[in-house]
Formats: sequence, structure tokens, C-alpha cells
Amino acid sequence: MNVIEISLILLGIMLVLLAGGVWIAITLAITGFLGLTLFAKTPAGEGLFTAFWGSNASWELAALPMFIWMGEILFRTKLSEQMFEGLAPWLNRVPGRLMHTTILGCGIFGSVSGSSAATCATIAKVALPELLKRGYDEKIALGSLATAGTLGILIPPSITMVVYAVAAEASIIRIFLAGFIPGLILMLLFSGYIAWWSLRNPDKVPAAEAELSFIDKIKKSGNLIPCALLILFIVVVLVKGWATATECAAYGVLGSLAIAVQSRMLTWRNFMDSLMSATRVSCMIMFILAGAKYLSLTMAFTGIPRELAEWVATLQLSPYMLIGILALLYIVLGTALDGISMIVLTSTVVLPMILKAGFDVVWFGIFIVLLVEIAEVTPPVGFNLFVLQNMTGKDANTIAHASLPFFACLVLCIGIITVFPQTVMWLPDVIMGVAK
Amino acid sequence: MPNTLRRSLDWLYNAAGFLAAFFVFAIFAVMIASSLMRELSIKTGGIEDLVAWLCAAAAFLAMPHAFKHGDFVRMELLISRLGAPRRRTFEIGGLAFGVAFCTYLAFWAIRMTWGSYEYGVMSDGLLVLPIWIPQLSFVLGAVLLLIAMTDEFVCVLMGRRPVYVTAVEERHARGDFSEDI
Repeated sequence: MNVIEISLILLGIMLVLLAGGVWIAITLAITGFLGLTLFAKTPAGEGLFTAFWGSNASWELAALPMFIWMGEILFRTKLSEQMFEGLAPWLNRVPGRLMHTTILGCGIFGSVSGSSAATCATIAKVALPELLKRGYDEKIALGSLATAGTLGILIPPSITMVVYAVAAEASIIRIFLAGFIPGLILMLLFSGYIAWWSLRNPDKVPAAEAELSFIDKIKKSGNLIPCALLILFIVVVLVKGWATATECAAYGVLGSLAIAVQSRMLTWRNFMDSLMSATRVSCMIMFILAGAKYLSLTMAFTGIPRELAEWVATLQLSPYMLIGILALLYIVLGTALDGISMIVLTSTVVLPMILKAGFDVVWFGIFIVLLVEIAEVTPPVGFNLFVLQNMTGKDANTIAHASLPFFACLVLCIGIITVFPQTVMWLPDVIMGVAK
Repeated sequence: MPNTLRRSLDWLYNAAGFLAAFFVFAIFAVMIASSLMRELSIKTGGIEDLVAWLCAAAAFLAMPHAFKHGDFVRMELLISRLGAPRRRTFEIGGLAFGVAFCTYLAFWAIRMTWGSYEYGVMSDGLLVLPIWIPQLSFVLGAVLLLIAMTDEFVCVLMGRRPVYVTAVEERHARGDFSEDI
């Protein structure tokens, strides 16, 4: 049996298990087991133990529970209320006015949180009722919240990036740094669309509120100082290379606890809830990573990724064509799978292909994160749609429709980073030196 | 199922979950402590090994609790469209695969860790310790996950809806999305 046949059989088994609702981690491990036993004739049990132990007992991976816990703590503070109050007075003269609080709020919360659903839920909880109360357009508000929430995984820290870095064996800090500029570009695109829409529909934007004096604006924004300090702290630590990603994450937790204390939200219950939540979420992700490690062992023994990469190379696709096909593939996958599973599932097979075609592993990380963001707002299983559906009672398809213009911004952003890869590579190269 | 059995099983999963949470907290404490010690130029050799083991312990011990809590992700696109009776068939099928895999995982966790103990294998990093001690968390987590899977399998066979489904429904109804990435 040749390698292509083996890979088709394994792919078939995996798809059947996935579609049948077997847990992702268990599906990966079962496929790995079958591959090893049937085709590689290697002892499958020892491999299972080594893969699971090696994957979980990892110093690098310890950053994951820390970053998750940090987000969980902040999720339980008044940060989002403070953010809305602090941002609102500055936006009076911008076309679109308070509508931009969704984009800015998500961008700022995204730089302390690593999750898209949590960012979307946190900002929407405050911004949505405030915007609707003041008479802003509901469609734009919903669309921008659903899509801007995904900034949580593009702007570091990001759980998705940690998972990608571990799966691709790349530097977490380098990928974090690479996310800053695309994150800013995306925020500009989102805000640009809101401004353009508001200029075209002036009747749908409520009148400006009474202008505060400069001093009052500063006073109102005082609430944002703790959060700004935390962001500044994380950025400086990352940029200066003072700490490893894990240490940086631990200090992030310390900072978040300080913010929670300062806003008097750190009850014993909140503390325990955030810790238990973080433990469960980390466990879920690490279980998937362990299953994937076992499957990649099978891949290494059967040589599927190498063969596939060579086969793709013989197709003589231009790099843009390859990227285009992969983008479509991920958009399709994203309609059915969550982002973490999507990355872990594909990285062993897709990465050799991409590297052979001359793309950088860090660049591809940002590319894939942007595609995961798209997946979060595409029905039927876009998670941000689901979050807003639960919060507003609106149907997921209505929200997906409202996000279409912002979806287009995401696609445009993918185009920009593909044509100008420097937007991704510049910051990490300047700060950490060009990678060998 | 008798009430005491139900209660003691749930207690077991939760206890393992709390222990895992303690290890997450320990990662935090050790990281902060080690960076302070480095500033005071106290040697911190072996910290990386210690943190790696804490991370493994947190991951393994939380498994039964996270599973019961509905945190393990899967593709629900198709099964969520089925009617209740057919959906139940798929849940039972999925749990059967789960039980089979967990049995295999627990068996090999025990066998390999026992091997480490029997041959006195030491860890090969800076922190030298019999490796079976940290590996014990793998054994404990895998065995408890097997128990939790089997427990759920039996309950669903007896006609109850899976608790990993109802737990998520309740959480989302409260508007709590903190556990979704």
C-alpha cells in the first residue's frame, strides 16, 4: 500500500470519528494508534505513553495555563465597564462616535486576554446595552462586536498562538511579537469601515454628547490606567526579552490579581472560579495537544507529511496559489471545527508543505490565526456568533450577516500580510534579530 | 445508581480537579519565586523540570473533572441536528470509543510508570528524582478519567442525558463564556 492510500484511509477514519461526535483529542489518538499498529508496525503503547508524557511535561507549555488564568481573572473584574467609560469621551468627534468603543475595547482587552469568545463576551456585555440605549445601529454594533472580539487571539497574549507555537515548535515570543502590527492593521480596517459607513449614513448615527473639558476626559480615563500599565508591562517584558513567555505570563497573572484587588473584585469565590476555569480549559487544550503529538508520531513513522509536501511541490503551484488554496481549506474547516483543533489537526501535515514553498513558520502562524478569526464568525459553528446569540437572543445567521463587512476586513488583512509579509516579520526581526 | 456512590464519584473527580488547580497555582508561585531568586543571584537550577512536572500534573489530574464539566471539545455540527433518540445512539457510541481509549491509556500509564519504578529510572534533567514520582500524576489522571468515562457510559445507557452536555447548556444559559476560546 502506498503512502497516499494510507493517508486517505487514516483521513477517512478520522473524519468519521469527528463527525460522530467523538472528542477531538480521543479521535486524534485513536487515528494515531491505528496508523502505528496497521501501517508502521511499531509498538503503539510505548509511543502513547511517551507522546502524552512528553507533550504535557513541558516547560514551554506551562505558559498556557498562566495566560488562560490571567484572562479568567480579568473576565471577572470591572475592566470592561471602566474601559467603556474611559474611551467614550474621546470618541465624540470621530465619525461613528461610540461605535468605535467596540473595536478599541476589543483591541485593548485582546492585549490582556488570549481568547476570542471571552473578549467578545466581555466587551459586548458592556458596550452593547450602552450603544443600543443611545440609539446606535444594532446591525453594525453586533457585526463589529462579533468580529472585533476575535482580536483577542491576534493581539498577544493569545492562547491560539501558544498552541500554534507548541505544535509548530516555534518561539512563542516571536509569534506574539508578530501579532502586534497585523492586529493594529485589522483595528484600523474595522474602524475605517465604521467611519466610512457613518459618513454615508449620518442619519443612523446619534448626535454627539455634551463635550467634556479636557481635564474631565482625563479624569474619566483614569480608570484605564491599571489596565494600560498591565499592557505596557507585558509589552515591555516581551520586547526587552527580560523574561521567558512563561515568566511573562506568571507576571501577567500577578498584574491581573492586582487589578482585581484594586477594583475590589477579588473575592475568594472569584479567585477560585477563575483558577478552576483556567485549570479545566488548559487541561482541555493540553489533552488535544497530547493526542496530536501521538498522531504526529504516526505521521513521522509513515512519512505522510514529507510525501505530501513533495507531491504538492510537484504541482508547481505559485506561492500565492498555495496560500489561496490553504485559506479556502481553512475557511471550510473552520465552519465545523474550533480554532485550536483546526491548528493542531493540520500543523503536522501542512507545515512541511509551507516551509518547502518558502514561507516562514512565524508568518504562517499569523496567517492561520487570521483564518481562525474568520472561523469564529462563520456559521454554522462560529463561536463568537454563538456568544452574541446567547447574549442578545438574535439568530446566529442574522449576526453572521451583520458581520459580513467586517469579515471582508479580515480577508483584506490576510491579503495585506500575504502581499507584504514584512508587516508580520518586521517587529520580531527588529527586536529579536532575523531568525536563522 | 445509589446516592452514596454517585456522591463519592463526583467528590473524587472534584478532588482531582482541585489538586490540578493547586498545581496551576504552584506553576505561578514557582515562576515568580524563581525570577526573584535569579535577581538575588540565588541558583535556580532544575526549575524548568519542576515547572514541566507541575504542568503535567495539572493537565492529567484535571482530566476527569474537565470531562464531566463538558470542557472537552468535539465536533457537534452533525450530532446536534439529530433527534433525541438517534443523538443518544451517537453519544453511547462516542462514550464507547472513549472508554476503550481510556482503558488503553490507563493500562500503558500504569505499565510504563511501574517500569520506571521497577528499574529505578531517574529523571535526566538538572533536578534528579525517581521519574515515577512525577509520572504518578499521569497514572492517577488516566485511571480517574477511565472511571469518569465508564461512569458516564453507564449513566447514558440507563437513559440519563450526558452530564457533559447539560453542564455546558447550564453554563451558557447563565451567560458564562469564560471557558470558550
